[in-house]
Amino acid sequence: MSTETMLFLPLLILIGGLFHFVPVLTRPDLFFAVTVAPGFRRGGDARWILGKYRAIIWIATLMAIGLELAAGMAVAAMLLQMIGFLWGLVSAHRAVGAYAAAPSSVLEVDLATPPERLPGGPIGALLPVLFLAGIGLWVSFHWDRLPSRFPVHWGFRGADRWVNTTPATVFGFLAAQAFVCLLLAGSAWGLLNWSRRISSTGPGAAGERHFRRRIVQLLIVTEYFLACPAWFALFRPGAAAVNAWGLALAAVLVAFGVSLVRGGQGGSRATAATGAAPVGDRTPDACWKWGLVYFNPADPAILIEKRFGIGYTLNFGNRWTWVTLALVLAAASGLIWLR
Amino acid sequence: MTILRVDLKSPVPVYRQIVDAIRILLVNGDLNPGDALPPVRRLALDLGVHFNTVAEAYRTLEEEGWLEIGRRSGARVVERAVGSRCDPETGEAFERRLREMVAEMQARGLSRDRIARELRRLAGALERS
Repeated sequence: MSTETMLFLPLLILIGGLFHFVPVLTRPDLFFAVTVAPGFRRGGDARWILGKYRAIIWIATLMAIGLELAAGMAVAAMLLQMIGFLWGLVSAHRAVGAYAAAPSSVLEVDLATPPERLPGGPIGALLPVLFLAGIGLWVSFHWDRLPSRFPVHWGFRGADRWVNTTPATVFGFLAAQAFVCLLLAGSAWGLLNWSRRISSTGPGAAGERHFRRRIVQLLIVTEYFLACPAWFALFRPGAAAVNAWGLALAAVLVAFGVSLVRGGQGGSRATAATGAAPVGDRTPDACWKWGLVYFNPADPAILIEKRFGIGYTLNFGNRWTWVTLALVLAAASGLIWLR
Repeated sequence: MTILRVDLKSPVPVYRQIVDAIRILLVNGDLNPGDALPPVRRLALDLGVHFNTVAEAYRTLEEEGWLEIGRRSGARVVERAVGSRCDPETGEAFERRLREMVAEMQARGLSRDRIARELRRLAGALERS
């Protein structure tokens, strides 16, 4: 068995495990992206649907493992597992549709809820970008201090792609790093300002605020972790410290991931489902395609809590979503063209 | 508590529900002069309604003298000067709306006892305030 296969098989099992648990991480009155009555998830019908979904997931995962072992076709194996996941999800989504419940038509908002702000303020979020700009400014005056080659990509065994030091490669590299940092900072800002607060009072609201804060912190921390390798690349290109840096980033991502999973989607695991009518996530079932894609032109929110999985997705019915995506794509294309 | 409730199935337009709910909070003293209301965008996002719906509600409350809307400071509750005497039409309109509402609630099945109890509770709260 090759080293690649030995590394790839645990990855397939890990992804299978993630798919296995994702359905129980959603809000209590959502099941396979369908609004259901509180308590439905604990019933026999729900357990049967969940069991069938998990059976499909693990059959697909075993087939993917078999494909990798027999033919070493990693991409095809991954694709096969993904197709199994989509098939399981769509069939479960359709099955749960028969038990869909009308969400409560009453919405509540606490007018006294304080606004949520970026940790460290805008400066804290933009500091990595300023740091990269500072490096750019410094190297433009100290070009002779740069190495003849520098790494632009790192793998498990350290730097694995190097380029010659030219103005295009250096500034292109810094601009790409700055672009990703800006994207992360913009996402954090958008999350606080263009997403919906679903719960307004009690433990539900506190859990949701905590969940949002965690995701915003994750985005900002990732920004800092991404900005620093630029310094290593240009000033300490062969340093082993960058590997430790990569491990630290992985540890931080895992820690945040565990924290988010423990809280459940929207921090909802602490909240018991109560009341006659489900609250759901305040989005209409009809606006979700397979529970994965949200399209609602009447909804002013750009970022929406995912119905399947942890985190947020985009409202593709909002024109500002498309404007934002177009700007991001234009900037990314510009960077690729420059490089 | 400063909870604003909106029923999307109610025949009353959402903008009117927002105005009524905030006005109740203002009259009850749950919102006081100097208190800031959420920005239009924030409230619209949380309720899932168009920005104009909330903006219209805030404008109505501003016209009634409850709010001051600044371009940068947002909507803020202000001290409202209310005359000790109101014109006779206002009093008549109040009586008419109260009678209409009682009749409508009776028609929708609410018991007379319940309506009377609620009116007594409101009257008590008004006398104490």
